[in-house]
Amino acid sequence: MAGHEEADNAEAIITRIEHKSRKIESLLKQYKPVEALKTALEGSPPKTRDERCKSANWIVVHRAIMAIKDVDGMFSSLDPEYYDILMKYLYRGLSTGDRPTCDQCLRIHEKLTERAGLGCILRSLADTVNTV
Amino acid sequence: MANTLRLYLTCIRNTLEAAMCLQNFPCQEVERHNKPEVELKTSTELLLNPVLICRNEAEKCLIETSINSLRISLKVKQADELENILTKKFLRFLSMRAEAFQVLRRKPVQGYDISFLITNYHCEEMQKHKLIDFIVQFMEDIDKEISELKLSVNTRGRLVATEFLKQFI
Repeated sequence: MAGHEEADNAEAIITRIEHKSRKIESLLKQYKPVEALKTALEGSPPKTRDERCKSANWIVVHRAIMAIKDVDGMFSSLDPEYYDILMKYLYRGLSTGDRPTCDQCLRIHEKLTERAGLGCILRSLADTVNTV
Repeated sequence: MANTLRLYLTCIRNTLEAAMCLQNFPCQEVERHNKPEVELKTSTELLLNPVLICRNEAEKCLIETSINSLRISLKVKQADELENILTKKFLRFLSMRAEAFQVLRRKPVQGYDISFLITNYHCEEMQKHKLIDFIVQFMEDIDKEISELKLSVNTRGRLVATEFLKQFI
């Protein structure tokens, strides 16, 4: 029963992620990378075990992260509630091993740690339920 | 180039500062035993998410934490075959003397060049920030050492070859 619901939810989630990615593309065209990042982080599917949903969402977030040029400016307009989920995605980015992604993620990680503190890192390490 | 190294080391330092929250935890399965949980991985509730921090395709650092122990595995940059051999031999030399280092692991984790195992006992005896300083300093020094070794091997090779081939002039 729960398995069926998961499968339906997965399809629904993937459709939502596709909508999101279209919205983000348009935001990026309008040179609003911070808005794009907020949109990408907002609808992150919580508690889903499906790897496809997570990968799909990661691709969207990755696109938004790579489009950011001004890291300090981004933090001045990003709400603190997004820090934790951003940290989780940064670690996912760092694990890819792709040079430009890692460069960008390392840059944002340093600034995010200064802003959010070590608690943010520890929450991303300790949260085994909501993983990205 | 130097900037990414600085960012990489800062990221590792921050992650270690957050992850090095270790306390004593006796083994749940066997009475009177105290084992580093990160090595056994028997109980999932005692483990935190492992974190992989890559600087580029060649260099990475895996940090696995549990309630009473922390394991850090490093893969060092190896540009060519000579550096490959030098790194392997040098790090094997260090690993065999792991007793002297206390926090070093005798065998590196599969896929990495060298591993550290830090337990709650180490954190009690030694200062946490000093341990982290040691790890980060180690990472900086390894690169320098390998380049120095490579330079000295090339110099010696050149000298030996010159001397040897002089007799044929």
